[in-house]
Amino acid sequence: MDIQAREENGVAVLSLSGRLDLASGSQLKDEIKKYLEKNVTSIHLNLAKVEFINSSGLGSLVSIMKEIRLLKGRFTMSDLASYVREIFEITQLSHIFEIFATEEEALTSYQTPVTPS
Amino acid sequence: MATVRLTYPSRMDSENRMLDDVSRSLQEFSLPTDIRQAILLTVSEAFTNALTHGNRLDPSKTIAIELSINESTLVADITDQGTEGLKRVAQHQPPGPLSESGRGLSLIRHYASRVALAETAEGGLHVRIEFDLIETNTRPS
Repeated sequence: MDIQAREENGVAVLSLSGRLDLASGSQLKDEIKKYLEKNVTSIHLNLAKVEFINSSGLGSLVSIMKEIRLLKGRFTMSDLASYVREIFEITQLSHIFEIFATEEEALTSYQTPVTPS
Repeated sequence: MATVRLTYPSRMDSENRMLDDVSRSLQEFSLPTDIRQAILLTVSEAFTNALTHGNRLDPSKTIAIELSINESTLVADITDQGTEGLKRVAQHQPPGPLSESGRGLSLIRHYASRVALAETAEGGLHVRIEFDLIETNTRPS
């Protein structure tokens, strides 16, 4: 999996490409840990280029969310492909995560909170 | 009937190789994208369970995958070399909302037409996942 990261208005924005599975989920957790250690606790993931996700990848996202919640931070996601969104819905994780249709909507919500789509 | 047989050592890096190999095989079978994605996901779930729970990442143990396809059905068999495979499955508890694991089997059951679990003579878990291709191909998009 490839991770392109940047910071925008205090939010770490990570754009993921490829597969989110057991090994890459661990890679993602390590990457996000670097931000949390710098006290950047607003984390957004753009999943537009995630072509595959399995339950191990979902487990990594749950783990990340729990860690961010402990730090009173915020964790959002956007741009889920229909196939990926379907897996979130089947596992009922779409109710647990803050998911936005687009990255722009998600980042705007950090400035002015809005209801996730 | 076409059959592909694959075997992997129980190492973390095997997962990526397996996904590449199974993706390639499914493309060669000329299956529609949605059924390829569903098969890849279910095989991946069974493989990860075999890797971490069955063989417990013991590199001396292997995971065997067999994909067989005919005009109407694709069958994926995933077998590990662990012990007490069926007992392990029986002890499985449904995941809570914030569980980090335990969703694999329910994803397999959601997407597959049929799932069967059996134990090898040595105690390993054998997961058979079947997809009815005709039904899938006629499913509304």
